[in-house]
Amino acid sequence: MTADANKAHPHDPFLVEGCADGAEALAVLDGVARTYRSGAVEVEALKPLDLCVRRGDFLAVMGPSGSGKSTLLHVLGCLDRPTAGRYLLDGHDVARLSDRELAAVRNAVIGFVFQRFHLLADESARRNVELPLLYAGVARGERRQRASEALDSVGLSARMTHRPNQRSGGEQQRVALARALVKRPRLLLADEPTGNLDSKAGERVLQLIEDQSRAGTTVLMITHDPEVAARAEQTLLMRDGGLSRA
Amino acid sequence: MNRRMRSVIREGLLHVTRHPLRSSLTAFTSAIAIAVTVNVISLSFGMQEDIAGDVDLFGRHTLDVGVPPALAPGVKRPSLGEAQVERTRRLLTGLDPIVVPRRQRAAPIRVDGIDEPYRLQVVAAAPAYLRTLSIPVAHGRWLRADDAPGSPELEGTCCLDEASAVRLWPQRDPAEAVGARLEMRIDGVARTMRVVGVLSDPLRYRELFETFDEGRGARTLTSSLLSFRNIYVPAATFGPGDYTGISIVLPTDEAVLEAQERLIAVWADARDLAALSRGSLIVFVRKQWMEALGTSTMQGSMVGNLVWILVVLVAAVMISTLNLITVRERYDEVALRRCEGAQRRDIALQITVEGVTTALIGGIVGLPIGYVGAHVLREIVQFPFRFELRYAAVATGVAILLGLISSVIPARHAATLQPARVLGRRLR
Repeated sequence: MTADANKAHPHDPFLVEGCADGAEALAVLDGVARTYRSGAVEVEALKPLDLCVRRGDFLAVMGPSGSGKSTLLHVLGCLDRPTAGRYLLDGHDVARLSDRELAAVRNAVIGFVFQRFHLLADESARRNVELPLLYAGVARGERRQRASEALDSVGLSARMTHRPNQRSGGEQQRVALARALVKRPRLLLADEPTGNLDSKAGERVLQLIEDQSRAGTTVLMITHDPEVAARAEQTLLMRDGGLSRA
Repeated sequence: MNRRMRSVIREGLLHVTRHPLRSSLTAFTSAIAIAVTVNVISLSFGMQEDIAGDVDLFGRHTLDVGVPPALAPGVKRPSLGEAQVERTRRLLTGLDPIVVPRRQRAAPIRVDGIDEPYRLQVVAAAPAYLRTLSIPVAHGRWLRADDAPGSPELEGTCCLDEASAVRLWPQRDPAEAVGARLEMRIDGVARTMRVVGVLSDPLRYRELFETFDEGRGARTLTSSLLSFRNIYVPAATFGPGDYTGISIVLPTDEAVLEAQERLIAVWADARDLAALSRGSLIVFVRKQWMEALGTSTMQGSMVGNLVWILVVLVAAVMISTLNLITVRERYDEVALRRCEGAQRRDIALQITVEGVTTALIGGIVGLPIGYVGAHVLREIVQFPFRFELRYAAVATGVAILLGLISSVIPARHAATLQPARVLGRRLR
């Protein structure tokens, strides 16, 4: 972030509330912005914004399509780097981390759940859940053990060797949730986790996410559905790349 | 290698097994490239080594003194008679040479059962002429000093190259030529000759040799001699007159060099084209001819090697394209792996392992295909062919290299994918 950008960006007192002492903060966005260039056109996907996500928070982010929700999630998930501002995750300035270190952070700190599950179609449920552990260098036996436990924790102890296409949408999302949880993440990022599910399956997934929140995992969930957002402790609104309190 | 790397390699191997159709297509391309590689290497090296072996029989320690095959207009043909033979002996004093003058000319040969006579080269020389060749007698015996030269009244004696026997009696085993009679007309005089021996054919790939040889059009006496389709008769068979050439055998390589030096101090080196305009006798060292042939076959091998290298490069481009398409179909997977903690090098390693594995599988399949293909070629066109384990090792190395080359671009492409862009596009 440039000094000019900082000066131009007035901090939102609400969104940085609780981060004054820094002790409880897991993720802090300080004037973070993300601009894309498409030919000669510059698109401001995220306007300079502040956000403090405390440990154990359960936040929902709502907003219309194209408002910047996914971009925010990608920045928070260290999948994308801000073009301005500072992002502190678990005390680390993300901008200063190398690509390898970012991969390690994603592996150790962040769990992802996507609307379309993003499971490896040719692999069994257990192998899908093992994936993050593989990149953590966990031994094969332990990987299998922990993957089985994670699947068990989302109610999928049976049919662990079945492939995703042999499961319902709700089960696939629970496999994806198990994959996110197997590495015991400190921050769980869920992008429309119930968007492709019927109400019953969606409810089951939401309960599991709530369980994780209650167990102390920090959750940030993107949703279009006000009812889903209502399950979170706080709801934020995104519009035109800006973030505000609901 | 750490556990993480081992796991990534395993992921690559598993991916190959999980997509048999895709892997088979890639492996098939690799198999074709490796088959061509094996084929060309076996053929080109086989040709090079076998022909080198063949010409070795022609006389490693032999020199020839002869008349230039063609003379510049107006230049007088140099004389090659007893005086030159004697001079040759004197020049080579102390080198322990065997000096054998020979007369040679094409003559119509007639045998029972054929109407049209064949024209074959007839070589008249002393029995020591065999020493200038390294060819064993396959059937019967070689000429002796007391063998009759033949006349209209008296049956003479001759020996044949195996190829001559095959040409004169195509339906018979060359061994059966021994004892047979043939008629030849020399200097307008017809005479009957009895075959007493047949020499082995030193050309293992005669059909190939003759295909090339006949394509040349203009043959020299020497190239005719080298075709090993001659008839050998006692020296006295031809009447007096100039010799066609003088064959000289020496005991060592050093003696050959020394002899060459002494002879070209008097006559011309056969490689010296200006000798044609001077009308000098020429000195021809068979070893140098062999080396020149070796260079030619080496060049032939190089052309062959260029062919397989080109095929491998084309295959690399094709496999690379296939792999790139595969990577494009796997954007989601790559993005997901990056989300879950894969580093760029993990992705690159996995794609490379997949590429090398499929190329190697193709290589293993291509090896026997190339081997069989080379055998078939050998049967069809009588091409020299030699398959050795080291060629298989080369082909395996080529397969690995092919996999590596064809994986560079796809691996780099996959490794540099921005997961946010992929996920953003898919999720929107």
